[in-house]
Amino acid sequence: MKKLYFSRKQLCIPYSVFLVLFVFIPMLLILVYAFTQEAADGSLYFSFDNFLNFFTNSSKLQTLGVSVTVSFITTFFCLIIAYPVAYILARSGWKHTYVLLMLFIMPMWLNFVLRITALRELLNIIGFLGKYDYVNTVIGMVYDFLPFMILPLYNSLQKLDQSLLEAANDLGAGDVHTFLHVTLPLSMPGILSGITMVFMPSMTNYVVSETLGNSNITILGKMIEEYFSTYDDMHMGSMIAIILLVIIFLTMLLSGGFKENADETSSRGANLW
Amino acid sequence: MNKLKRFFTLLCAAAMGFTCLLSFAACADQSDKQVLRVYNWEDYIDPDIITAFEEEYDCTVEYSTFGTNENMYNELKINQGGYDLVCPSDYMIMKMIAEDMCEPFSQEFRTNGVYSQYVSPYIRNLFEENGWTDYAVGYMWGTMGFMYNPENVDAEDVKDWKVLENEKYHKKSTLKNSVRDTYFYALACVYQDELQALASQLEDASITKAEYTAELKEIMNRTDQDSVDKAREYLREIKKSVYGFEVDSGKNDMVTGKIDLNFCWSGDAAYGIWEADDENGFTLAYSVPELVSNVWFDGWVIPKGGNRSLAEKFLNFISLPENAMLNMDYIGYTSVIAGEEIYSDYVEGGYAVEEEGEELQALLDAGEAMEYDVSYFFKEEGDSTEYTFYAYTEDMQGMLLAQYPTEEIVQRCVIMQYFDEAGNNRINMMWEDVKGAAVPLGAVIFIGVIVLALLGVFLISNYGYEWFKPRPKKGYYKVEK
Repeated sequence: MKKLYFSRKQLCIPYSVFLVLFVFIPMLLILVYAFTQEAADGSLYFSFDNFLNFFTNSSKLQTLGVSVTVSFITTFFCLIIAYPVAYILARSGWKHTYVLLMLFIMPMWLNFVLRITALRELLNIIGFLGKYDYVNTVIGMVYDFLPFMILPLYNSLQKLDQSLLEAANDLGAGDVHTFLHVTLPLSMPGILSGITMVFMPSMTNYVVSETLGNSNITILGKMIEEYFSTYDDMHMGSMIAIILLVIIFLTMLLSGGFKENADETSSRGANLW
Repeated sequence: MNKLKRFFTLLCAAAMGFTCLLSFAACADQSDKQVLRVYNWEDYIDPDIITAFEEEYDCTVEYSTFGTNENMYNELKINQGGYDLVCPSDYMIMKMIAEDMCEPFSQEFRTNGVYSQYVSPYIRNLFEENGWTDYAVGYMWGTMGFMYNPENVDAEDVKDWKVLENEKYHKKSTLKNSVRDTYFYALACVYQDELQALASQLEDASITKAEYTAELKEIMNRTDQDSVDKAREYLREIKKSVYGFEVDSGKNDMVTGKIDLNFCWSGDAAYGIWEADDENGFTLAYSVPELVSNVWFDGWVIPKGGNRSLAEKFLNFISLPENAMLNMDYIGYTSVIAGEEIYSDYVEGGYAVEEEGEELQALLDAGEAMEYDVSYFFKEEGDSTEYTFYAYTEDMQGMLLAQYPTEEIVQRCVIMQYFDEAGNNRINMMWEDVKGAAVPLGAVIFIGVIVLALLGVFLISNYGYEWFKPRPKKGYYKVEK
């Protein structure tokens, strides 16, 4: 009996099937739903109504504003907290820094809903719950997404060439100067990667806003859910999803996420997207 | 080419093998046992009952669950003929019957079935009045009201729907995060004066009971723009003073004492009261506000093309009083099944005062026990049994009231109808406006500060050198160009 072997082309088949089934078809369906409406007899017709409706309806725009606000503040705090942590971890001379890193990453291994429920009780003890819905939501989001910020930052800072810092020092730059002109620019890929990793999911992670904000805050993710399950309007729901997609696409474009990795050193392996 | 051929041959062989396996599995299922595909709410049946049914009738129950009526409806539309028995709520049953999606029950089931034998006369009449008898049977039912903590909330206050406005309970109460229920609540508040007038008309007998009921139903099912606008205004205002919106965290928040007042379904109230008493050792109570409330129920329908005979067997099986009691114990809601056995075992057995003779008299005198009448629910025509017993007042404001409300309460309850599409759209828009809110000023200022700070860091890192001319480190000197 002859030996069975596969060519590269054949090995690609499962992946192409996967891509078609789980990426192209769903995206296509969402696009179709977003730009159609249902006629009285159940047939679909092309329409821009959903799109126009989103940008002329004040509650939808307000919800968009709330989502962006929450995401922005969350991302900011993640960065503020994560950068020093990543910096210290990456630069410390200790042999077992990975233990510390693991400690920061470990909460990710616990079930997310469980953590948020526990956090809810904690906030109740502090007395925040029911009083500061926005603060609670941001606390929950930061807690949830902090590891996503630490990891890329740690990666890019760790791979930073020590000799560049020494060179800057030799050439007379002070610590602040070195940080602002050498470390910070070189860790930029990590920062951008972290920002995209935090900003995007916090636009839609409505479990946090529902649990910690007692459903007093509506973000876009929740709105999509309402359109699909309560309002029974998949067309508008799909349109909001598409709009969200475009926003995410734009943030990635702005943060240079699509740049080809031609310049290997500039990404430093931190660009996870 | 050869390689490709071999690969496809292999693929075909694999596919054929797989199909064969599948069809074998399917054959094995079909030849042996009938299958009943049940589609029910999450956590809404005692799984032991399903197992018992499977054993008794030698069949397989494929049980799946849904979270909202709308999800269920969509699934039925997509997967037509995929289910034999589903359990939607009242308004969804109306919609499904109106759209001719349901299979009528057999004459035999309607006249001689176990369900028709044991169902409460109150529920039977309700179904007959509304013309659902042919297509739907009841499952669980209840009212809507407030679960409250009597230590912090005055029992007099919760007789009024507008209690949430009370400054005393600021940020201590919740509303439902579900558009229909909260809209109902808003209507009860907005039209309070009208409802009050109606109630006094009934009292001085200037209108008949039937007129009263019809009028009540009309008011609480309004969906005109004016009513929706009023509801929007009211809810936006009340949103500032409630703790939040919830659909299932409310009962736990009551039990853990986070809130004192919870607008809820009676079944959740029964669960919360029991839980608080059993685990935390404190008392919670239930109240159905005066003037009006909502009576709701969930019921079984057979979608077109479903396996009717097996579905009817299943319904008869779960309608047996002992199974109905198992279900009630498991999920905490009240079954529509009545009958002697449930009354004596469950209602009287569970709630009747244990003291007798003089001790009972002492309780009655002290107002700690009172007569409780549930005849409207249990008494069939020509039945001579008295369905009246002495109950503790505490239960009458708690578990008992949540499980079996008095006739007086039920008479001022209305069923929420299915709204037409225009009405639904108006209410949904209203809900979106209520749930959405402008970005608070504090957050805007905060973002402004962050942006300014980032800009500052950027400018200083780029031009700071020129501006501040930092001194080089010791031993270095700056070269001027």
